[in-house]
Parts: sequence; C-alpha cells; structure tokens
Amino acid sequence: MEDIKHSAARLSETEGPFSSRGLPKKKRILIADDSDMNRAILADMLEEEYEIVEARNGVEAIACLRRQGTDIDLVLLDIVMPEMDGFDVLKAMNQSGLIEDVPVIMISSEDEPDAVERAYEMGVVDYIRRPFDALFVHRRVVNTIMLYGKQKRLAGMVADQIYEREKSGSLMIAILSHIVEFRNGESGFHVLHINAMTDILLRQLVKITDRYPLTQADINLISTASALHDIGKISIPGRILNKPGRLTPEEFEIMKTHSSVGAQMLRELPFYQNEPLIRVSYEICRWHHERYDGRGYPDGLVGEQIPISAQIVALADVYDALTGERVYKKAFDHDTAIRMILGGECGAFNPLLLECLMQVADTVRDGLGLISLQQTSKREMSSVVEELELYKELSSSERIFEQMEYERTKSDFLMHSSDDPVFEYMSDTGMITFSDAGARLFGLRELTVMPDKEPSLLALMSEEERARVVRAIGETAPDQPEGTCALLLNIGGRRRPARLSYRAVHSSGHEGRLTGVIGKIHLEKQEADDER
Amino acid sequence: MSVEAFYAAIGGNFEGMMARMRSRERVLRFVRRFPMDGSFALLESSLEKGEEREAFRAAHTLKGVCQNLGFDRLYRVSAELTEALRPGAMRMENVPELMEKTREGYRQVVEAIALMED
Repeated sequence: MEDIKHSAARLSETEGPFSSRGLPKKKRILIADDSDMNRAILADMLEEEYEIVEARNGVEAIACLRRQGTDIDLVLLDIVMPEMDGFDVLKAMNQSGLIEDVPVIMISSEDEPDAVERAYEMGVVDYIRRPFDALFVHRRVVNTIMLYGKQKRLAGMVADQIYEREKSGSLMIAILSHIVEFRNGESGFHVLHINAMTDILLRQLVKITDRYPLTQADINLISTASALHDIGKISIPGRILNKPGRLTPEEFEIMKTHSSVGAQMLRELPFYQNEPLIRVSYEICRWHHERYDGRGYPDGLVGEQIPISAQIVALADVYDALTGERVYKKAFDHDTAIRMILGGECGAFNPLLLECLMQVADTVRDGLGLISLQQTSKREMSSVVEELELYKELSSSERIFEQMEYERTKSDFLMHSSDDPVFEYMSDTGMITFSDAGARLFGLRELTVMPDKEPSLLALMSEEERARVVRAIGETAPDQPEGTCALLLNIGGRRRPARLSYRAVHSSGHEGRLTGVIGKIHLEKQEADDER
Repeated sequence: MSVEAFYAAIGGNFEGMMARMRSRERVLRFVRRFPMDGSFALLESSLEKGEEREAFRAAHTLKGVCQNLGFDRLYRVSAELTEALRPGAMRMENVPELMEKTREGYRQVVEAIALMED
C-alpha cells in the first residue's frame, strides 16, 4: 500500500507542470517606481516570497523587460515617472506583445481616475492604491501571479494536447494510406498530393460559390478524409493492381470493386459510425469514381447526387493519376493534364469544379511540386517515429520557449562580446540598443529611447552624415536587406572614419515594412585620423 | 519621543499606518528612511531651475511617499502643490505659498524623526 502511494506521488510529480524544470523557482517581480521609498516598501512586503527587480524609471523598466522578457512574472508599475512614464512602458509592452504574457498591476492614487481607466485600456490587470496596505498588496500580487501562471500552463497544456492529437491523427492516416500505396506501387506522394489539391480546390470552390455551405472545419475534414479514398484497394489481388498492361474487362470489374469495398470497410467499423471523419470518408471511398454525367460506378449517381467531397477527390485523383507515373502509363506534364481534364477526356465533372481547377491551376502546379520536396524526408516511417519520440521529451510550448531563450542568450552574448560597437534599432518602439562596447565608446546608455533627441548620439555625427545613413537604410528592401557605408564620427572631440555595416529586417507579408535594423560600426585605423 | 508621539507631532496617522504595515518594526524602518528620500530635494532644485515638469514629478513622488507613510499633514500640502504644478492645469501663482508650506512640513517631519526613539 505504502508503495502504491509512493509511486503515485512520484507519478503526479513527474507529470506536474514543473516536471522537467525541477523545483519551481521563485517568481520574479519588477517594481517600477521612481521613489526609492515606495520601491522599498513594496519590496519589503514581497521579498520573502518573490525575487524583486527594481527600475527607477520607464527606461529602466523597458530595458529590464527587454532583457528578461517572460522571466518577469509580474510588473508593479507606477504611472508618473521621469524619462518615460508608466504609459510609455505599457505602450512598449503592447508593441512587443509582452503585455499578453506578463501581468501588470499599476500603482495609482485616487486622484487619477482617468489614468486608471487609460491603463486598463492598455492592458493592466489590476491596480493598487497608495497608501500601500501590506496585506492587500500581497494578496493582489499572489492572486495575479497564480492566475496568470495557471492560465499560461493551461494554455500550454491545451496547445500541446491538440498538437499531439493532430499529429498522431494524421500520422495514423499517413500510415494507413502508405500501406495502400505501398501495395499499389504508387508514389508515396499520391495521398499528400490528393490531400493538398483537395484543400486547394475546396478553398477556391467556397470562394466562387455559396452553393456548398462548407466551413473551414469541413474543408479540413474532407482534405484529411481524402487520404482514405483508395483503402478498398487492399482487397484487390496484386496481379491486377500492379498489372503493367491494360486490364481485361473481367479484371477491370474486379478493380472497380475497390470503391464499394473501401466504403464497406468503413461501414463495418464497430465504432465511431457517427464520427464526421468516418461519414465523409465513406462518401469519398464509395463515390470517388462516380461521374457527373451518371456514367461512373458503383452507383451511377448523377450530378449533385454525388457528395461534393467525393466530387472534389475524384477530380484531384484524376489530376494526380495523370501527372504521376503508373505501371500502365507514363506521366503527363501539368498543362497536358489540365487540358485533358478540361477537354473531358478523363471523365465528366461538375462544371463549377472545372472552373475552380482552371483558376487554381498554377497554385496546384507550384504547390504540389513543393510538397514533394518538403515531405521527402518524412516518407520513411522510421523518421516520423523518431520525430514523435523527440516531441515526447519536450512539450511543444516548452520547445519554442527554450528556442527563444536560446536565441536571446545567443544574440545577447554576441552583441556584448563584440569589440566593434553593435547596435539594434527597432522601428515600432523607436529605440536603439547599443552593445557594451558601443555604449562605452560613444558615451551612451545601453538603451536610447528617443535617438533623435539624445544629445550624445546627435553629437556623434553631422546632420548630413546622419541623413546619408538614414537614406542608405531606407533603400534596403526585403530582397536587398544588407549594406555598408562609410561614416565620419566625432569621438572624444576627434573625427574618426568608420564603416557601418547594417542588416535591415522587414516584416513578412506584402508590404515588407522595415521593422528594425541591426548594425555594426568598424572604426578605421588611427593613421587615417592623423593624416587629416 | 516614541513613534506614536512622533506621528502625533507631525499630524500623521499612526493607527492607519499600523493597520496597513502590520508591524511596528516595519513602520519604524520606513519612517527612518524618509530623510534619505530624494524627492523633496529634487522638488526644491527643479523649482529653482524653473523645470516645472520635473518639479511636478518630484512633488507627486513626495506626495506618494507621505501617503504611504501616513504623514497626513505633509501629504495634504504636497498634494495641493502637486495639483498646482500638474501639467495642463498649472496654477503657478499658488506655487510659492504651497511650496513654503511643504518646506515647513518637511522640515518638521525630518526634525521629529531625529528625535524619535525606538
């Protein structure tokens, strides 16, 4: 009995939220207030249970949040502060999205109701009033951290679960259809192609008509189910399935049974008869060889009697059969295949679907080609299984988290270990961060909030020089993000030639907006200076 | 002078402070720290230099500290001064008088702290 209890305790321990991180570490609170006294009072109330980080103004608070990110579990934020105030901090947190992950409690006086309202709009979760009440402050902090932590863990758990389920679901389907294809001697891509093409065609279909009320979920369902369209083929003898020449009429009759056999297999599943996936798969299996003109098999359905799922998969199947190599035929190229289908040489289809096919022909050609490349490594089941093993060790959210953590550490290290000054400019906040070397050399602080108003930065180069740099960076584009330019800097009262190398970062998407610039300044040797 | 007598002398609220801080020792610790707080000095110097925004912030901070420490009388005058300096609603004509009151209140508090016993 003792044993059981013991192992149960151990089990819940390893499965708990802190499993791979050992003991839960002390939560960290950032106190941003310009008064030493107020910070001291708050720290005194909280430091027994929490690790306290202090900031004396908005700039320090932002710098700290930039460095530590979600390692900060809570921010206590004063509004009226020098340099940058609490609203500026909230603005920066909104721009970086940190406001979603790090709860902020604002510190306010009762004489500033508008400020409280504005702060709420900017994402603070609660406020505490002066004069601070120890019990009150403590409770608010504990509750907020607990709630956020719980929410974060829950969100992570849900995401992991969905991810795992989706993954194992599609993995099962991939295995199943792989077995069928393996026996057919078809390319392993057939199912992937049908899946992708079904998706493309359905998306287009709902764009051009509202005749079929399909939601995004329906589209996903049909695309997933499409993988099962040929499962009935496992009942077809191999000598017919893989016969290189033309099938005799008798053999063809046997071949034709695969659609009804596949459907029957699904119908006879002892469970899950009401699952949408089974229902849709049934439609697809049974009717993906029906023709719009009623001359298909097994039931000779006409027009809209054929479920749209089966109609779509039939079209995708024909296209992929034409463009792929089979034992009995060579591959046709994309244009020929499209022409043959539109010309009615390969069956009769819903005119609306043919219209869709025409409209998405280019996407299909480019898209399916891409799949072959992307999925190559995944064709071997062993590699997929290995991958699954990897996922078990680290949950997906933790993985992303650790990746980000790693990247941040790496860039921090690289930035601060360089002898040449390195800087980073972020356009959304308008701030510049300099590396240690840069800050020292130029007599700047690490974080410059308003670069265009910072005297030490302005003194560094003439207005013309500055305009030239701004112009050069403005000329970058997503496909041309890097460049260098020569500079004349005023350092310690002397003019020093230097070379600036920069890399602009643009947002993804159409406009490719400039989101930031990373740069390195290399000072030329002193001799150049002496010649002057 | 005991800490209770200190609070009585400066027009503060010791009971309220105790209720919030939950420990006499904590109250003492913070009261002793008050002279080290730089906001009053900053208020004086920024007013001298005519830096009104900075003066507003300093007054605001001083007010907040006094409120936290239950120094009610000094809190009230510094709150009035803060409002007179508030950007957008400034009433500079009231500032000299309010500053004088604040200065007097601050001097009283600091002197009384020096006389306070454990």
